Amino acid sequence: MPKLNRFNIEIETGETGTDLPVHFTINNHKMPLEDTQGGVAQGKTFTGGFEIGSFAHSLTLVGPESGQWDIRKMKVDYDCEHTAPYSVVFGAVTLDETSEVNIWQDPPLPTWDV
Amino acid sequence: MSVLKKLSQMFSGSDSKVQQAGEAVSESPKPSDSPSAFAEEPPVRRRVIQAPVVIEEAEASGPSDQILIKAEPSRDNEQCKLMVNRPLFKGHSWLFSNFEEAAGSPLAESVFSVDSVETVLIHDSTAVVTKTGAKGVSDWEALAKEVGGALRRTLEAGADLVSKDIIAKIPSEQVVQEEIQKVIDTEVNPGVAGHGGKITLTAITGNTVTIQMGGGCQGCSAADLTLKQGIHSAFRKAVPYVGAIYDETDHAGGLNPYYR
Repeated sequence: MPKLNRFNIEIETGETGTDLPVHFTINNHKMPLEDTQGGVAQGKTFTGGFEIGSFAHSLTLVGPESGQWDIRKMKVDYDCEHTAPYSVVFGAVTLDETSEVNIWQDPPLPTWDV
Repeated sequence: MSVLKKLSQMFSGSDSKVQQAGEAVSESPKPSDSPSAFAEEPPVRRRVIQAPVVIEEAEASGPSDQILIKAEPSRDNEQCKLMVNRPLFKGHSWLFSNFEEAAGSPLAESVFSVDSVETVLIHDSTAVVTKTGAKGVSDWEALAKEVGGALRRTLEAGADLVSKDIIAKIPSEQVVQEEIQKVIDTEVNPGVAGHGGKITLTAITGNTVTIQMGGGCQGCSAADLTLKQGIHSAFRKAVPYVGAIYDETDHAGGLNPYYR
């Protein structure tokens, strides 16, 4: 697992939106995203990020304190130490006050033709 | 601001924004407002769920007359997967643990002809190879090229790839399922129950087994060891014709993953 310098996230909200701020957890510590733009109401797009500077044993996006939040799509850009920047697109998920969604993916494995 | 700085502020009490997951966002009431410190509700433990990862195809690759092989070492570099654009053992899988077991199977014989190959697992259109000696990515580059060449030559020769004896040994899915379930019920689960663990058989495809690790096994740092040295050994000893064994557990999900 490489050291995660920074991540940025773009979230497209579906049918049911929620309220700002958007929180994430890094290794079980909850914080609000920074450098935010846009919104998380129905049909809106939100962007944010965070300078982590540490190893991400877990990285999650936290559900709303009440109600549901339909996420249509999330794109996460990772900037890790000694690894080329990479992005992962996650599909639809619904969060509520009992859930959070994993947004960590290890860097892609190297592949080559033989 | 970095996480380390935030955490250091948290422990010095200078940043109230940093919270444990599940804690209420609102400020806690003052002690005088609260009837009893013990009456506070415990923080909600959130369940970690997985969203599907959307694979965006870089380019559409149709069928090709050429034999195309791609190598991909595992993250720990313990093994290298070679993905071929045609079947090697359609619908089934087989582990060749050594050169002797490869006798009569041209595909495995050719792979074992490459120095330092230790084991070969073939499944559908992939071959997974382990090796002796150093196991860095650079160590796999040369070996994967040699193994790829051996696979290509065997495929071009056009003969049967797997011994007829092996094919004849593989029983129906129902028999594989019954025998694997018996091993799980009588050997594996009693063994992991002491740690609060539970193994569930989720699929049998041909002679390929897929399991899920639950309870104390999910997210446990020793899950890989349990899988490879405990479960694999028990399955292969009791059911010798079992092929690939996959663990589809989401070790980062659920309520109590080890790494949270």
